[in-house]
Amino acid sequence: MANLESLLHGFGVALTAYHVLLMVVGVLLGILVGVLPGLGAPNGVSLLLPLTFSMDPVSAIILLTSMYWGALFGGSTTSILFNIPGEPSSVATTFDGYPLARKGRAAHALTLAFLSAAFGALIGVLLITLLSSWAANFALRFGSPEYFAVYFLAFASFVGLGGAAPLKTLVSMGLGLAFATVGMDTISGSLRLTFGFDTLVSGISFLVAVIGLFGIGELLISMEEGLRFDGVKARVSPRAVLEAVKTMPRYWLALLRGSAIGCWMGITPGGPTAASFMSYGLARRFSSRRANFGKGEPEGIVAPETADHAAGTSAMLPMLALGVPGSATSAVLLGGLMIWGLNPGPTLFTDRADFVWGLIASMYVANLVAVVLVLSTVPMFAAILRIPFAIIGPLIVVVCFIGAYTVAGSRPDLLFVVLFGIAGYAFKKLDYPIAPFVLAMVLGDKAEDAFRQSMIMAKGSLAIFWSNPLVATLTALGLLLLFWPVVARGLRLIMPRRPIDAFED
Amino acid sequence: MTRFAAETATALVTLALGVAIAIGAREFGTGWTAGGPEPGAFPFYVGLLVIAGSAGNLFQAWRRRAQRAPFLDAAQARRIARFGLPVLAFVAMAVTLGFYVATAIYLCAVMRFQGGYRWLASIAVALCTSAFFFLLLETWFKVPLLKGPLEAFLRLH
Repeated sequence: MANLESLLHGFGVALTAYHVLLMVVGVLLGILVGVLPGLGAPNGVSLLLPLTFSMDPVSAIILLTSMYWGALFGGSTTSILFNIPGEPSSVATTFDGYPLARKGRAAHALTLAFLSAAFGALIGVLLITLLSSWAANFALRFGSPEYFAVYFLAFASFVGLGGAAPLKTLVSMGLGLAFATVGMDTISGSLRLTFGFDTLVSGISFLVAVIGLFGIGELLISMEEGLRFDGVKARVSPRAVLEAVKTMPRYWLALLRGSAIGCWMGITPGGPTAASFMSYGLARRFSSRRANFGKGEPEGIVAPETADHAAGTSAMLPMLALGVPGSATSAVLLGGLMIWGLNPGPTLFTDRADFVWGLIASMYVANLVAVVLVLSTVPMFAAILRIPFAIIGPLIVVVCFIGAYTVAGSRPDLLFVVLFGIAGYAFKKLDYPIAPFVLAMVLGDKAEDAFRQSMIMAKGSLAIFWSNPLVATLTALGLLLLFWPVVARGLRLIMPRRPIDAFED
Repeated sequence: MTRFAAETATALVTLALGVAIAIGAREFGTGWTAGGPEPGAFPFYVGLLVIAGSAGNLFQAWRRRAQRAPFLDAAQARRIARFGLPVLAFVAMAVTLGFYVATAIYLCAVMRFQGGYRWLASIAVALCTSAFFFLLLETWFKVPLLKGPLEAFLRLH
């Protein structure tokens, strides 16, 4: 019951007029970046982060996480009304959301999406409330070897479970790790990989990388397709909301299954995108109305939306308890914690209880705020997408570069944004995953420090990663996941599978 | 441009980066002492990892070269250039003329020449946007951006 008490204390922190106002601002900005092509949750948060450097950490995290929730909701709006996913994680929502909207039931589709998203988010936050302090207590027993094993597990699960080509994941992650080492080395003090350039001494900011990769890269991709928005007009009336609420219990199975998948994928770094696809796939496979999927089946909206938001929220659990983020956006938030001078990880629960529980309480309130705001502002944000791209496009570009400049006030960063933008475009088109790169850039330093500290403890022997059951389990799991693509191929050779998987190959 | 060409080019770039990382790391010692790895060891092995991965990707691309999948057609390339070249011009102007002037010129030019707006509308939107950013960042958030000769002349520092 200590958790409940802490949570009540957290509500005391979160429910001040100032913080509720920040939530409203954050959610609205979030919906905006979610709706606009090229701007998504990870780089929306990156753009806003420099403006929070001087804020109190609790207020700053409430603002930024609210933006995250808003972006998740905003992404669904464009999926349903325009058939354009505002976020990669809402791609699966377009499959049935847009057809349903085309049938003239846009309001119903939107309400269903928002309500199931809210349900998923609620389950995610409940999970965090129940498990986070337990997980943190558990993690307090961790030493450097255990930490390195956890980081290793996180990296390995991208290779094993990420879904992209394993070698491409490896290259993307390796580059992220290498970029993280550029500049001052915290242990020896040497200036690594600067190649004589003064600007590299302070390192390459992951924020600049995120803005380039996700912002400019994404814009280039959408420009290439030739952007055209032929949207469905919609206004959500209170009656439509009530009607949707009444149909919700019908989808209890999809809701629960979606939440479970989402929570699992959020805690392990599978991420919201994989979660929403998996939830959609399972819903289609097991539904009695299978033939209707892809033609506007409501369950095809409920399933991915629930999983998407459950994953988005539960990705905060490993970030808070272990300091290992479960998604690209929470990796950016983790970077923010370090910039605000907090030390992410289990000690946060004892050192800054007000911060942790204020954040958790704010997740309940902010998601509620987000549902209300997103339902009432649908026409407004849909109208924004009707502004010609000759105005919106350059504005997004300007915002990206201003955001990158405000990170450190350095001119070379502008060049980095261009380079990362081109890299992001090429990576995206050639199916190199970008999230592992971001995660590696944020965690690279910490992973390396943990590794070297373990080596100092063990006098240079790798056997320390097998020295006790806990670390051995983590290491073994990591190795299994790392070599999963090879293992899976071997298994398939031994026992050929029935060809049912529509998503494979 | 075929997908094979794009895959090869990307893999070669990542390969080159891997080589640069590994060579750059050697400067700090890549050995293993009693106190654990030397500072260069971690980046060195990461560099090797990137090299190995890139080589694997090269091989994969080469194996699929017969598929002749397209990467970019002429129309797409034109659209990318129409969007990308003004962005590069904007960055060049931001560094020399400052962010606010660059924003105004960039917005105005794109609206006029690509969006087909009249001069008056383009100039008005461009100036208002630039002024909005100025108020938002310099006045409200007190975050200074790059400034150029115009701001110096107007003493807006």
